[in-house]
Amino acid sequence: MADVSSPRGSTAEVSGYVLHRLCVAIPSLLIASFIVFALPRLIPGDVVQLMLEEQASGRNLDDLRATLGLDRPLAIQYVEWLGRVARGDLGESLWTKRPVLGELARRLPVSLELGLLAICFSVAIALPVGILAAVRQDTVADYMARSAAILGLSVPGYWVATLVIVLPAIWWGWSPAPGWVDFRANPGGHLAQFVLPALILGVASAAALMRMTRAMLLEVLRQDYVRTAWSKGLRERAVVLRHGMANAIIPVVTILGLHVAQLFGGTVIFETIFGLPGMGLFLFDAISQRDYPVIQGANLLIVAVVVATNLLVDLLYAVVDPRIRY
Amino acid sequence: MPISRRDVLKLGGTAVAVGAARDLLAPRAVAAQAPRRGGVFRIAGFEPQGFDPQQTLSYRSLTVLSMTHSRLVRVKAGPAVRPGTTPLEPDLAESWSQPGDTTYVFRLRRGVRWHPRPPVNGRELTADDVKYSYERFLTVAGNPARSLLDPLEKIEVLDRYTVRFTLKEPFAWFLDVLASTSMLIVPREAVETYGDLKKAEACVGTGPWMLERHEPGVRVTLTRHPEYFLSGLPYADGVEVAVERDPASRFAAFLAGRYDFGPEYAMVLRRLDLDVARQRKPGLQTAEFVLPTMNMTWMKLDQKPFDDLRVRRAMAIATNWRDLVAANAWAHGHGVPNPAIPAAFQEWSIPLAELPPEGRRLYEYDPAEAKRLLAEAGYPTGFTTPVETTAGYASDYMDGVQAQLQNWKAAGIETELRLKEYGAFLATTLAGKFEKVALGLFSWTEPDSYLYRLYVPGQPSNVGGVNDAKLTEMIGLERRTFDARRRREILWDTQRYLSQKAYYLYGPSFSVVVAWDASVRNFAPNIGHDYGGRLVAAWLDR
Repeated sequence: MADVSSPRGSTAEVSGYVLHRLCVAIPSLLIASFIVFALPRLIPGDVVQLMLEEQASGRNLDDLRATLGLDRPLAIQYVEWLGRVARGDLGESLWTKRPVLGELARRLPVSLELGLLAICFSVAIALPVGILAAVRQDTVADYMARSAAILGLSVPGYWVATLVIVLPAIWWGWSPAPGWVDFRANPGGHLAQFVLPALILGVASAAALMRMTRAMLLEVLRQDYVRTAWSKGLRERAVVLRHGMANAIIPVVTILGLHVAQLFGGTVIFETIFGLPGMGLFLFDAISQRDYPVIQGANLLIVAVVVATNLLVDLLYAVVDPRIRY
Repeated sequence: MPISRRDVLKLGGTAVAVGAARDLLAPRAVAAQAPRRGGVFRIAGFEPQGFDPQQTLSYRSLTVLSMTHSRLVRVKAGPAVRPGTTPLEPDLAESWSQPGDTTYVFRLRRGVRWHPRPPVNGRELTADDVKYSYERFLTVAGNPARSLLDPLEKIEVLDRYTVRFTLKEPFAWFLDVLASTSMLIVPREAVETYGDLKKAEACVGTGPWMLERHEPGVRVTLTRHPEYFLSGLPYADGVEVAVERDPASRFAAFLAGRYDFGPEYAMVLRRLDLDVARQRKPGLQTAEFVLPTMNMTWMKLDQKPFDDLRVRRAMAIATNWRDLVAANAWAHGHGVPNPAIPAAFQEWSIPLAELPPEGRRLYEYDPAEAKRLLAEAGYPTGFTTPVETTAGYASDYMDGVQAQLQNWKAAGIETELRLKEYGAFLATTLAGKFEKVALGLFSWTEPDSYLYRLYVPGQPSNVGGVNDAKLTEMIGLERRTFDARRRREILWDTQRYLSQKAYYLYGPSFSVVVAWDASVRNFAPNIGHDYGGRLVAAWLDR
C-alpha cells in the first residue's frame, strides 16, 4: 500500500525520475531527428524541382543543388545539421533565407496561445457537462449532453469556422480583421483574435473529453467506496467531486495530454481560416515546398514538446492520484 | 494616343518620345476628375516565396516585386488598355531602337533612383545596373525563368545611360519578354551584401513603392518611393498586402470592406460570389477578362493508343469544354474554348471559325462521334488509361478534372485517376515521367511560349514528345518574323496545323470578373502578375 504521508515521493525521488525521463528523451530525439531528416527526402520531388517549377532540367537542377549544398551525400548533410542543432542553430529556410530558429520562436507562441486557450475552453465545457451527464444519467440533461457531444464530434471544425467567418460578412458586413495583432501593440485585439478559433477548436475537443469524463465518472460512481460515501451522508458535491472525480480524472488528463500534442501540428486549417501565423501552417508550407531545414527544425520542436508534455502528464498523475509514486 | 507594341515595331529605329510613359499613364476614362494623392491600397495577397525576382516564377513573389522593381519596358496599364492585349511602353528605358534583327539599343532615363535603403542608398541607376542584372539573370543558379533569355548573346554598356543587347538570332518576342515581371532589375550591392535577394531587407528596387515591412505569414507593407522616376506617381502613399490563405476568409474580408480589390489572384472575384458582393458593396466596379491559363491534356504520343490521330481526336470530341467551365467557381459557366494559343491573347489566338473543318470539329461535343472514331481506330469498346494530375493547383481545378473524366467515360474512355502531390507532380509528370495521359495547367504571358515550350523538341514542357519538323520550322519562322501582320498569319497557320494534328488537347480558359471598390479610380485589370504597373496610375477617392 502507498505511503500516504509522502504520496509523491521525496524531492530527490522526483528529481531522479525527471532526470531519468530526460535521459531517455535524448535517444528519442535522436531517432526523431533522423526520421524528420530522412523522410522528406524520400518524397518524390525535391526542393530544387519545386523552385525551378516547369523549367527544371538537367543543368538547372545540378547548379541549384550545388548552390544549396544538396549535392553532398545525405549522411554528411545529416551529421552537419545535427552538429549545428547541438550548437542551437537550426539553419535557414531554403526559400526565404530566414533563420528557422527565429521563425519558430515567432510562431510557437501563436500555436501555444491558440492551443492553451482551446484547452481552457475544452476543459471549461467538457468537465461540467461530463459530470452533469454522469450524475444525471439517462435524464434529459444526459441525453442532451451526449447528443451535443456527438454533434461536436461529427461536425467538422473547419465548416463551423467558415460559417462563423462568412455569414456575419454576408448578413452584417462584418468580418474579423485580417492579419495578426501583436500583443504589445493591442493586447485586447490580440486576445480577441484567438477567441473564435480557440472556441471552435475547444468545442470539438470538448466532445471527446466530455464523453471520457462521463464514462469514467459513471464507472467510479458504481464503486463500493462511493456507495460508502453516500451512506455516510456526504453531500452530492463532495461525493462526486472529491471521491468520484478524483479517481476518474487520470484518463481525462491522458486525453488532454494527447490533445496538447495534436494542437501543435494539427491546427493548420484554423490558422489558415483565421490568418494566424502559427506552427501548423508554417510546417504545412514547409512540407509542400520541401523546405528541409524548416521541416526538420519544426518537427524536432514538436517532438520535444510532445516529450515534455508526456513527462508533465506523468508528473500530473501523481498530483491527482496519491497512490502513484516515482 | 496609345502606342501598341505593333506601333513601336513599325517605328523601327525611331526613338519613342521622351516622357511617353508619363503621358500614357495619365488617366483617360475619368479625365474629368483630377487624381487625388494619398491613401493606402489594401489587397488580399500572398506570402512571397522570397524577394528575388531571379529565383522564382511564382505569382506570390512577383505580384509584390512588380510594385518595388522596374524593368526596361512594361505592359501599358489603365482603362484604355483592352484586357488580353499587351501594348508596351517605356519603363526604365526612355526610348529604344532596333538597328538590326538581332540588336536592340536602350536609352535609359536619367535621374532614376534606387530606393533610399541600404546598401544602395538611393544612388542613380545606370547602364551598368542593367548589364549586371541581366547577366545575373542568365548565370545565377536556380533561375526558373532563365530560358526566357536563351536567345540573348551579350549585353554591352555603350555609355552611362545606353545599353545594347545582341541576340544570337532574331527573336520577335524579345521586347515582350523584357516586359515580363521576371525581368525586374536588381542592384549589385544588394546581391553582394546579402548573397542573394531572398530576404526582405534585400528588396531594393526602383519601383513606385518600397518594402517597408514584411511580417511573414501576415502582411507586406509598402510605402511610396519618394524619388520615383515618374514625377507625381504613384498617387497612393502605400500598399498593404494582407496574407490571407483561406478563400472564404478573403471573401468575407472583402465584403466587410477590408480590401479594395477582388480577393483572388489577379483581383478576381469568383462569379459564384458576385451577386452577394454587389448587394453588400454598392458601387462595386467590375470588368471581365479571359485568363490565359489553359487546361492541358498531354498524351504520350509514342504510346498506344495515343499514337493514333483518330484516338486523340476522339478524346477532344468527347470533352465538353462547357462542362469544365460550368464546374469552375471563378468562371461559373463563363469561358471560351482555346486553340493552341489561348483565346485570352486576342491579337494572336485564331478564332475557331478560322480553323479547318476537322479542327473546328474538335470543339463540338459528340460522344457518339468519339465512339465512332475509336471504333475506326480499333477500339470499338473504348479503352482504359491511367491519368495523372495533381490536386495541388486548387480545389476548383479538380472539379474540372472530374467533369472531363466523366465526359470521357460517356464515350467509352475509362480512366484510372492517379493524383499526385504537387511537388511530386512537378518532379515526375511535368518532367515527362508519366505513363499515358497527364492533365495540368499551362500559363505564360506571351503567346510564343504556348508553341515554343510545348512543341519544340528538347523543351522541358514538351512532355508528350512532339517531334514534328514542319511544326518546329513554323514556330522558328514566327519567332524570326518582326512584321506583326505576317507573324500573326504564321501563328494562325500554326494553330490550324496543330488543330489537324491534335498532339495535345486544350481545355477552355475561364472568363473571370475582376472587382474593385467604388473608391478606386483609373484602374483596369489585365493578364500577368504586374500588380504594380496597374496600381501606379490608380488612385483612391475617399
